[in-house]
Amino acid sequence: MQELSMLIALILISLGAALSFRDTRWVFATSMAALAIAISTSWNAYTFFVVVIAALNIVSLDIMRKSQIKGVDYALVALMGVATIYVFFVNDFAMLLAMFIVVSVPTYLLVMVTDNKANVDVGIKYITFMVLATVLFIIGAILVVHSPHGGLLYVLGYTMLVLGLCIEIGVAPMHEWVPDVFAAADPIPISIIASLAKFVPFVVAYKILVSTTNHLTPFVTMILAILAAISMFIGNIGALTSRETSRILAYSTVANMGYILATLAVIINFNWIYLALTGAMLQLIVNSMGKIGFFTAIKEGKGSTPLMYVLALSFIGLPPLMGFWSKLFILTSLVYVGYLWLALVLVINSAISVPYYIRIARNLGKGWVLSLANAIALIAVIIVLITIVPPDWFVEAMKGLSETLIIKGV
Amino acid sequence: MIGLIALLYLAPIFCSIPITIAWVMEKKPDYARKLPILSVFGLFISLLVSLYILFNVQDGKYVIEWLPEYNINFVFIFDYLSKYMGVLTAFIAFLIGVYGLEYMKDDYRLGWYWMFFNVFTASMLLVVYSDNLLMLLIGWEGLGLASWGLIGHWFRDDDPMSYVGVMDRKVWKLDMFWSPSFGGWRAISTIRFGDMPMFFAVAAIYALTGTLNISEIDWGALFHHIGTPGTLILILCFLMGPFTKSAQLPFSEWLMTAMTGPTTVSALLHSATMVAAGTYLFMRFSWYVEPWHIHSLGLEYTYILVLFVGLLSALYGAVVAAGCLERKVLLAASTMSSLGLMFASAAASMWLGKIAIYVAFWYLIVHAFAKATLFLVAGHLIHVTHDRFCVGDREVAKKMKLAFIVTIFATISLSGIPPFTAYWVKSAMDEVMHHLIHEFGALPLTLLILTSIAYAAFLAKFLSLNFIKGEKVHLHLHGGQIMGSAYTVMVSMLLVLLVVILGEYEPHAAEFVKEGFVVTSFIVGVAVLASYSFTIYVPRIKQLSPVGTFLSDRMYLPFLNDFILPKIGWFVAKIIDYCNKVIDFSCHKAIPSAFEGWSIGIRAIQSGELNRYIKIVVGCVIVILATISVLGW
Repeated sequence: MQELSMLIALILISLGAALSFRDTRWVFATSMAALAIAISTSWNAYTFFVVVIAALNIVSLDIMRKSQIKGVDYALVALMGVATIYVFFVNDFAMLLAMFIVVSVPTYLLVMVTDNKANVDVGIKYITFMVLATVLFIIGAILVVHSPHGGLLYVLGYTMLVLGLCIEIGVAPMHEWVPDVFAAADPIPISIIASLAKFVPFVVAYKILVSTTNHLTPFVTMILAILAAISMFIGNIGALTSRETSRILAYSTVANMGYILATLAVIINFNWIYLALTGAMLQLIVNSMGKIGFFTAIKEGKGSTPLMYVLALSFIGLPPLMGFWSKLFILTSLVYVGYLWLALVLVINSAISVPYYIRIARNLGKGWVLSLANAIALIAVIIVLITIVPPDWFVEAMKGLSETLIIKGV
Repeated sequence: MIGLIALLYLAPIFCSIPITIAWVMEKKPDYARKLPILSVFGLFISLLVSLYILFNVQDGKYVIEWLPEYNINFVFIFDYLSKYMGVLTAFIAFLIGVYGLEYMKDDYRLGWYWMFFNVFTASMLLVVYSDNLLMLLIGWEGLGLASWGLIGHWFRDDDPMSYVGVMDRKVWKLDMFWSPSFGGWRAISTIRFGDMPMFFAVAAIYALTGTLNISEIDWGALFHHIGTPGTLILILCFLMGPFTKSAQLPFSEWLMTAMTGPTTVSALLHSATMVAAGTYLFMRFSWYVEPWHIHSLGLEYTYILVLFVGLLSALYGAVVAAGCLERKVLLAASTMSSLGLMFASAAASMWLGKIAIYVAFWYLIVHAFAKATLFLVAGHLIHVTHDRFCVGDREVAKKMKLAFIVTIFATISLSGIPPFTAYWVKSAMDEVMHHLIHEFGALPLTLLILTSIAYAAFLAKFLSLNFIKGEKVHLHLHGGQIMGSAYTVMVSMLLVLLVVILGEYEPHAAEFVKEGFVVTSFIVGVAVLASYSFTIYVPRIKQLSPVGTFLSDRMYLPFLNDFILPKIGWFVAKIIDYCNKVIDFSCHKAIPSAFEGWSIGIRAIQSGELNRYIKIVVGCVIVILATISVLGW
């Protein structure tokens, strides 16, 4: 059933994109419709949030006065959204790799879009890294899948997959593109890259790594843990003295990706995977909401003070906002599998991150603003406040989804 | 029974409440100046109850339940020690209360005075009749509180008459004169310093034996259980309370400066009762522990320590008193000396048995009456001469005949001149120390004899410099009938005691008569008489003045309290200040700068050139892959 609705959604998107030369409002409608169709057959907590993120991204594109690919950009974002919704139900290895690319490539175009001239410099920088990342990821994935009983190939493949993932999402010490790209590109496309584009790489990595665990997995997971820890520190400490708000947010992304990467260490014990998955997904949602809210405010030049502060507090991890719950689940899953030191590093980093989030909120918050950006930020804040009701419903949903992690034919 | 007990403790307190309230409501309530009579009446009721207990109540215990599940209750014990001590306390308190009616009648803070005076009496009676250590501690603390309140009674520090020491005199950097507020603080802080180890010891006793009733604890088993070092630590901690309260070396300074309080306070607290509480507790402890039956090395070492601390304090006190020229400080030093003798004698029970405790106890009784009398006379003299130093020539003896006669009788009785009261008790004490010759040689006896000689000397000096050979001074004679009656009755008690001892009305005291007829005792008595007589005619020797000043400066012991201890305190404060600075530095300077440095370093990687970034990323990838392959091999 899901495949059918995906197909229909894809057809809608392509039709709409094709029709964009006539009237861009058609594309807007077809993109939203495609998202609705995609979610209709696979309604659960995760897909709900993804649809909200995708919708917010599409709407935020309207904040840009001019766009070199006006119309098609809606379709591109909708495509990314559909792929993100579908990725949990993909069982075929080739399809998984295809999902990875489907989510990655649209961003190559989006990053160059600005109000004035297309920003080719940024594009070159970004694409160079992304290509490297994709290549490493795919080669690593193939090696890992074809050496199920361990051995040197497995180890190499695992490492290459993880490194590819790291470069793709911006994990230190391979994070150099993140501050430059986030600062130089237009804030709106960055808000899309920083939010929607991060989901699929993680889910694909989860599926591939969980399906191919063997006796060597605990050994190689150490690299992952160390990379995550390095990323957390570099991201948080680097943000402390950054001057431009978009650079601070870039380092914040590096740190958040570190938190989420740490959850992959839980694959050594399948019993706790659902908890790690919950933590990872919640943290991705928190990250998305925050980045969307902040970047749209940067585009406007100003944002509403209370909204900015709530988003900042959610990033810091203040209960009962969503940022607290995501970190809680990540910590508990790490502790249960024995990575106590990583949990401690996470806690310390949460503390280090407090000053610069408050600084962001102070820089951006300027009273109450009435604009599209503000409306988007308001929705983001509402989403973040959902977890005032403790999210065991999300945990249940993740329990169900973690059953689908194992892919066939591996 | 419970009614009697309630009356005993609550009568004094309730009778003081009216005057306290009156003084709180108004600054100078002249209508309330009659209310002290009510307070004294409360003391009288206590006296009647204690007499009833002495004559009509059987030996035994009376229990009021408090925390029965913890075996902690109010246990009142009526035995030899508590019955006599109770009457002693109540009687002396009553007499001094009567004296205070005239002595304090023009004071500005009568409410404070009478409340603390009666609280003190109630607390002392609690200590006396207590078998339960926790209940005793309640009384103990009450004594300390009342002591602070009463010593610092003239808290405004505005009257040089209430000070101790020569005004504005300094030795090196230290002021050698102390104000009432300072005296009050010194008293409570020294006593507190001793109370802390005592609390811990009581807690330890409860933890180890499960009961706090002195008469019920199996002391032998306890000492055996904790071994020699344990016993030593436990008992020494416990005895810190009595040592500080009874002003033994090196804790004697507070007693000297406690003379800043009114003379009635000095008479009641610091001669007869409160300071005696320490020795009384030690006697009670020895009575029930019965160290002569227990073979414990720790116990033996402790008792040796108490013996010698007592004897040395006695000698120190007597010699310092011999050099003092201030009336009340002289008497205070002499009190310290007598307390030392009480401790020493009670400690001798380790080797001699219960008789040594009887000797110590009877000396306590004799000393209480005699010293209280002397203090009351000193107070009267201070009122009349408006001077707190020993001044007064024969004119004083003529104009204050009653005081003169009372002083003669008190000093002769107390010094141990045969055949007066203290002679018999002191002879028993000589015998006790004599028997210790097998353990310690002649040392204890020698110290005792030296102390007795010095003791007689300063008593004679007191008499001489105030009534016979002192400086001429102007006299303000008026009233004095109530005060005179009070100390006359007090001194007549010494006569009563003499009759009791000689007439063998009290079986244990009758033992003392036997000792009195021993030749060595008689020789000591004659030596004491010689010392007394000599000093009456030659109270001051000019050539020995420097020695006298050294002694009246208490051999510079004030330096311990006022110089050395504060220096230690300031040193500790300095260390803490340093630690604060370290924390301050790390939180406000070190950590922020470190993070700032690292952050700038991380951001320095971003130079903007794609070349550099690619090199870094590809380099990392290759390094990690290489390391992994090597490790995975």
